[in-house]
Parts: sequence; C-alpha cells; structure tokens
Amino acid sequence: MNIILAEIKKSYKILLAYPVEIAFWIFSPLLWAVPLVFQGKALIGGLSSEKFGEIAGTPDFIPYVLIGAIISTYMASSVWSMGFAMRDETFYGTLEHILSAPVKPVYILLGKAIFNSFLATTYVIIQLGICIIIFGLKITLYKIVPIVFFLILLIAGLYGIGFAAAGLTLLVKEAHGLLHLFEYILFLFSPIRYPVEINPITKAISVIIPLTYALIALRGLLLNIRFDFWKNSLILIGIDLIIIPLGLYIFSWVDRHTRQKGTLGEY
Amino acid sequence: MNRIRHYLRAINAENIKEWKIELRYKPDFIRQFFEPFVYLFPYFLYGFALLGSRNSEHLKSLTGISDIFAFVFVGYLIMGFLNTACWAMGASLRKEQWYGTLETIFVAPVPRWVYVAGMALHSTLHQGLIMFIEALVVVLVFKIFFNISGLFYSLILLLLMISTLYGLGILVAGLTIGLKQWWVISEAVSTLVTIITPIAYPIAILPLFLQKIALFLPTTYGVMGIRHFLLGEYLTLGIHTIFFCIAIMLIIWIGFGLMIFLIMDRYGRKKGVLSLY
Repeated sequence: MNIILAEIKKSYKILLAYPVEIAFWIFSPLLWAVPLVFQGKALIGGLSSEKFGEIAGTPDFIPYVLIGAIISTYMASSVWSMGFAMRDETFYGTLEHILSAPVKPVYILLGKAIFNSFLATTYVIIQLGICIIIFGLKITLYKIVPIVFFLILLIAGLYGIGFAAAGLTLLVKEAHGLLHLFEYILFLFSPIRYPVEINPITKAISVIIPLTYALIALRGLLLNIRFDFWKNSLILIGIDLIIIPLGLYIFSWVDRHTRQKGTLGEY
Repeated sequence: MNRIRHYLRAINAENIKEWKIELRYKPDFIRQFFEPFVYLFPYFLYGFALLGSRNSEHLKSLTGISDIFAFVFVGYLIMGFLNTACWAMGASLRKEQWYGTLETIFVAPVPRWVYVAGMALHSTLHQGLIMFIEALVVVLVFKIFFNISGLFYSLILLLLMISTLYGLGILVAGLTIGLKQWWVISEAVSTLVTIITPIAYPIAILPLFLQKIALFLPTTYGVMGIRHFLLGEYLTLGIHTIFFCIAIMLIIWIGFGLMIFLIMDRYGRKKGVLSLY
C-alpha cells in the first residue's frame, strides 16, 4: 500500500512540472470531437437525425459524440500513459532503481495505474462540466452509482490493456508504433465516434473491446437511452476477468525475459 | 552557381538521412500508411450513420456536392500536409537533440535554411507517398470520381498551400529549440487549424467568428479551391481571390516562420540550450 501511495505521489509531482499537459488533456478530447459536431450540422441541417436514432438509440448526435469524446480520455490514458509508464522511467534513468527495489514490479505498475485513472477521471469530470456549460449537454446524474460502477469496470478493462502495453514497451523500446496499433483498434472498433452497428466489421471486432459495453451503458445512463444493464455489466466483468490477469501476466513475463536477456535498462 | 549546387547537395543529404533513419524502423514506417485511414474512416462511418447513405441533400444545397465520402476525402487528403508541417518538421530538430547531433549539424558550413529545406523536402516526399497510396485505395474502394480537367490547377493550389504550410513547419521547428514541450503547441495548432479548416463541412457551418479566422489560414483556400476544381464545390470567394490570398500568405508565413526560427536559434545558442534535451 505504501509503495502504491509513493508511486502516486511521485507521478503527481512529475505531472505538476508540466502544467501545460494538464490543460492539453482536459481540452483536446473535446476539441477533437468538434469537427464531428460541425459535420453533423452540415449533413443534416439540424441537431438530430432519425436515421442516427434508429442505430444509436438517440437521434441527438451531439451528446452522443461528446460523451464518446469524454470517455475516450480513459482510452488515451490507458494506452499512452500506461504504455509509457515504464518507458518514462527509462528516459529518467530510474527504471533499474525502481525495479531493483524489494517490491514486486506489479505494485509499482498498480500505483501508476491508480494515479492515471484518478487523473483521467478528474479530466472527465472537468470535460463533462465544460460540455454542460458550453454545449448545453443535458445529463442525468441521479444514476451516479451505476455510472461509477460502469466506469470502474471500464477503467479496469482498459488498464488490463495498459499493463500489457507497459510490458511490451519494456521489450520493444521504441514502441510508438505498437501503442498506436492499440489506439487504432480501440478508436476504430468501439462506439466512440459512431455506432459500431453501422458496419459489420466494426460490429464484429467491437464485441471484445470493453469500451463498447461501457459506452453503451454510460450513454444509456447519462442520456436516458434504453440498454440492457445486466448484459453489458456481465460482459464487461467477463472481459475484465480475462484482460486484467492477461495484462499482468504479459507484464511479468516481459519483465522476467528482459532481466534474463539483460535488455531491461537498454534505451 | 557552385554555392547553389553545394546547398542543393546539402538539402538532398538531409533528405536522404531522414529516409535512412525512417526506414530503420520499418514497422513504424509501415504504420504511417495506415494512420490516415484510421482518422478518415470515422468521418465516413459517422456521416453514414447520420444519413443512412453516403449522400446528403443538405450538403448539396450548401456546396453542390452530395457525396459525403468525396467531400470529406478531398479535404482530409490535403490536411495530411498540415500534419507534416506541425509534426514532421518540428520533430526533426527534436530528434537531432535526442541523437545528440544537433550541434554537429548546426556547425556545418551551410545556412540554417538549407537544413530546414532538407527537412521540408523529406516531409513533402514522405507525405506525398502516403497521400498517393491513400488516394489510390479510397478512390478505388469507394468509387470516387473527380473532374480530371481540374487536376492541373488543383496541383498548383496544392503546391502553394504546402509551401505556405512550411512556413508554419519552420516556425514549429524553431520553437523546438527553445521549448522542450513543443509537442503540446504543435498538437494545439494542428487541432485548431483542423477545426477551423472546412475539411468535413463547408465554411458556412462555422460560427461567424471562426469563419473570419478561417480566411487567414492557407488550408481554407487550399481545401475550398481544390474541392472546387475536382468536385465542383460552390465557392463563396472568386478563384482568383483564392490564388491571390494564398500567394500573399505564402510570403507572410514563410517570412514569419523563418524569422521565429532564426530568433529561437540565436536564443538557443545564447542560452546554451541548443542541444539540451
């Protein structure tokens, strides 16, 4: 527990050294969604589309897109922040010091994961506030308990992917390409920007991505769209039960492998 | 004449060097050819989800073009060069700092602009190749048809727009010397230009204040003009006005970008932070 807290404290201090990045991650996910809002208006000539409603469950495309943009903050955090969690220690020159500490590396990773998820949640809350004030987004928050429930399941699933990404960057070193690949798959094949039912390929691949079920549930709760609560939560729990151990296993395997090969601290 | 040949050799040497480094990381090199599709397809799929088809009557009433795939694709293709300006050129100097070779390059007996021109040449060729493959795939898969007669003027406009954007690229490259977290500025500029440029929607959709700002961006004229030549988009400005504005911007942006680059270069050398990572 002390190790996890120490890691959180350290990550927080490093974050404060780069305040511009805080502002960047608060505003960027929303700015990236703005072209879709304008595109919708250009194509429809209004603020709602019946065709869209038939697939997405709501004809109002602006709230749909904005919620996807906000939740994608977690995707970026899990892929990039976790993916580079260990690589950053290599940049700082502290990786070997940390990994030679008398603790299991998984606790250090957990500390980073908890910090990144708290940070992402803070960004999400601020983004939600911006959307309510500037875009007039109307959401129902009295369902806060199920919202938090699905967020926890989402975070757990995404960080399972993040653990694997953290491990793979220890192996691959210049892992931008690999992390981009993770990002592309999550971005294209989950309903961040559009309902995945629009295309058979996106629909097929989306079934294994935790973001799919979390977004269906969160949009359902926030925008009062009908959805199957138990189906989505059970599938998410099932995915988490597979992804988290798998991610941790990949990290542990890579950690052992790179120590044996002597490439752990290689830049 | 000898001097010009000398500079051209240096420009090409920088270009070849960048290619050699890029091709050492083959997976990442190949990934870059998929990236445009990852960011283009959401526009297509989202538009299709809104309409239930690829044609929009409302878009046709605004622009004369009903095919949303063709409309978005042309805009998005051109914007690839914005990424080149904001990212590739800026990252080049940062990469030299990582490698520890920036000072070595900067003491070479050529003016700074030669190095920048080398970066620009490499970026143009690299992005051009990505765009060509992207265009081939999208046109064949989605059966998008262009006015071939508009191709010549489109290429002229594209060349003018790229040259103007390199002014931005030079500015970003200069900023990397002094500002180590330059990527935040690069991403912010790239995002804002992407929003304001009428890539996936006509300029008339933007709020009035953004429409005014859009008129100061070369990408606005580039996208509108090229879509006019290739797809017959209605223009709110005359085509001569478009060429004139972009020509003026070329001079201003290149001049401004070079000025910032030279100021940051002098600042970096005075402060001793030139090669500081």
